[in-house]
Amino acid sequence: MADEITDNILNICNVNKSFPGVRALNNVSIRIRRGDIHGIVGENGAGKSTLMKILSGVYEKDSGTIEFDGETVENTTPVKSLRSGLSIIYQEFNLVNTMSVGENIFLGRFRKMKGMRGTHGEARKLLDSINCSVDTHAPVESLSVSEKQMVEIAKALSFQAKLIIMDEPSSSLTTEEIRHLSVIIKDLHEKGITIIYISHKLDEIFEYCDRVTIMRDGCVVDTKPIKELGRDEMIAKMVGRTIENEYPERPHCVGESLLEISNLNSRKLKNISFTLKRGEILGMVGLVGSGRTEIVRAIFGADKVKGLILQIDGKTVSIKKPADAKKAGIALVPEDRKQQGLILPFSVKSNISMAALKGLAKRIFLNRGSEVCMAKRQMESLAIKTPGINARVENLSGGNQQKCVLGRWLETDSRILILDEPTRGIDVGAKYEIYLLMKKIVENGGSIIMISSELQEVLSMSNRILTISDGRITGEFDPEDTSAEEIMKSALA
Amino acid sequence: MKTKWVAKKILTAVYRQKAIAALILVFAVMPLVNTSFFTVYNMVDMLKSASVYITIGCGVTVVVISGACDLSVGGIMCLAGIITVKMMGKYPLFICIIFALLMGVLVGAVNGFFVVRQKSEAFVITLGMGALLKGVAQQLTDAHPIAGTNKAFFEFGTGSFLGLPNITVMMFLILITTCCLLRFTQFGRNCYAVGGDYDVAEYSGIPALRTKWLAFVISGFLAALGGVLLTARLNTGASTYGDTTALLVNCGTVLGGTSFAGGIGNAWKTALGLLLFTVLESALGMGSLNAYAKELVIGIIIAVIIGIDSYDQKRKAEMV
Repeated sequence: MADEITDNILNICNVNKSFPGVRALNNVSIRIRRGDIHGIVGENGAGKSTLMKILSGVYEKDSGTIEFDGETVENTTPVKSLRSGLSIIYQEFNLVNTMSVGENIFLGRFRKMKGMRGTHGEARKLLDSINCSVDTHAPVESLSVSEKQMVEIAKALSFQAKLIIMDEPSSSLTTEEIRHLSVIIKDLHEKGITIIYISHKLDEIFEYCDRVTIMRDGCVVDTKPIKELGRDEMIAKMVGRTIENEYPERPHCVGESLLEISNLNSRKLKNISFTLKRGEILGMVGLVGSGRTEIVRAIFGADKVKGLILQIDGKTVSIKKPADAKKAGIALVPEDRKQQGLILPFSVKSNISMAALKGLAKRIFLNRGSEVCMAKRQMESLAIKTPGINARVENLSGGNQQKCVLGRWLETDSRILILDEPTRGIDVGAKYEIYLLMKKIVENGGSIIMISSELQEVLSMSNRILTISDGRITGEFDPEDTSAEEIMKSALA
Repeated sequence: MKTKWVAKKILTAVYRQKAIAALILVFAVMPLVNTSFFTVYNMVDMLKSASVYITIGCGVTVVVISGACDLSVGGIMCLAGIITVKMMGKYPLFICIIFALLMGVLVGAVNGFFVVRQKSEAFVITLGMGALLKGVAQQLTDAHPIAGTNKAFFEFGTGSFLGLPNITVMMFLILITTCCLLRFTQFGRNCYAVGGDYDVAEYSGIPALRTKWLAFVISGFLAALGGVLLTARLNTGASTYGDTTALLVNCGTVLGGTSFAGGIGNAWKTALGLLLFTVLESALGMGSLNAYAKELVIGIIIAVIIGIDSYDQKRKAEMV
């Protein structure tokens, strides 16, 4: 027993953390063995990120003890934890885009590295040790996502990291890049560096990890060697319940054609043409970077394009900016809710009424009473869980935030709703509510274009699927008699 | 019970609006230091000088809420005054004033073109514009002050209505209009959205570009109006007016509680911030402080208020 304790590089013991109204971590205890690759899995909101932020010193724990490398950690800060050999590679990288690779690796240690020459020399050595050929003089903004990740790893190594935590490292990588990453992870493992690997992709967890911790609702459900854990068991423990109805019944109310897109060209898109019918849910499938988001942004007038002919009800409409799209009855729920969808410090009310202020105006002054009614109406019909319509939208959970964006467009008279990744980062219950809402919209005569990376979701909800690859439409499928494999093959073409 | 509740409410209001707290402090301390502070003459004088600043501040507030800043207001104010005085001899007064205001609108539109349309840095563009206008003003006047020749104009500038100076009445009208514009109209609400997050506003179908552009036009217009009022009050136009106005007004806007990042604030807050500036200026001028110490004290007070405010915001944000 005593041996086992000294063997642990990280000892997390009964850690608690609360935010107002939420118990983010509840008596969490995890032991990480030296030299292991330790997986942590759990749904969104299970507390993984909070735990990592406590480890790195971004948040302070309420109670409990943390021992790292034999020493008790108290009042740590991100800098202290880095120096002690604990590095975290976040999903969003911590790199200064305008500075060079070398400078980024040794950021803040310029003098210690004896100026430019030392910086670039050492950076080269570190990058070579992980088989990365990036030029150390190149600015970080010119790198691909995977190369940026390599720079982050090199930065961690430069601190003589004993423990590297990777938060969703593969979520935006291509298949080829993921393979490269797996080589590096195994390489780091051989060097004796402990790795905590957080991922939603269970395949990767099974491939790399020695042991796995499953978290749910701020608690540790189980920690087990991977060999003793089956896939189904893992999923059951993550979700904590068996999901029967993940999707509502597919709506069938497709009518005549409503929106016709032809000859859409841009730097990334080649000759896109398709139609959307009244009451239809049209699914768009493609990898990140395939051009699927660019297509809908072009329709919405957010990007400049060439030669687009857009017809609604047979009439040609010119859309040059999003305001024109709104007038034509097109709405976009963007992919990045926090950057493009919501003004986070504003209230739920302002976020909902934002696009529909025109309808509230009596002569020049807005009717504030009907604005309140509008917000309350959406809050009730969409079941937005919020302390009140004046609560700041940033304090809401992901699902409720998404409902606010949807509510905003439901208050305009939009007939064509474009949903870009409508359920990303939303828990299972809220997802189901959003599916129901989509169903209601098409039943009331609206049409939906849905982009999603979750194939199952597109297969279950849409009436028709288009696959996009490399800026072209590569296939059109009827989801009722197509398998996921066929669609994936076409999306990879 | 009731009084306790009211007292608590007043206290929180004062706490939220630190400019009020500072104002109360100055008004409480000054009578002990100098008896001439509380005279009618001094009060009216302070109101008069604050009026011009607040008129300009209203426009700047609209720009700051929309997520930019306007440092050309000093130049616009100065040039507007000079244009009015220069044209006065040859043309009817109202044409001179309209011409000056049109100049402000035009400059605001040009600022907007560069900042919003071309996405240049507002700070640099408007600072440059201010310098440019200053140069024009110096060219026009040969760097000498010129006196106005229209009696009615001067009488308006120094006269009063129901005991309040005319320019203060004008200021109140503009302040109320701006507050209503920001709070109760679609344009005003769009300003907040554009300043809160330009992309989100754009993706919500708000004419973001037009809104922000119009904010600059309003700022240019009100700065020109401020210049006309100042000239009416002093009956002179000089290229030295407005050297510090731009910074002072932008600073007063933030001091009042309008966020320099955009999306938060209102014109009445700016009015309080600028009123504090003028009152401090007057109060410290009366004390036995020399001019250098005066600047020092004003600097310290601003730093303290903004420091407390930022600390508060930070604490609020960390509470989640």
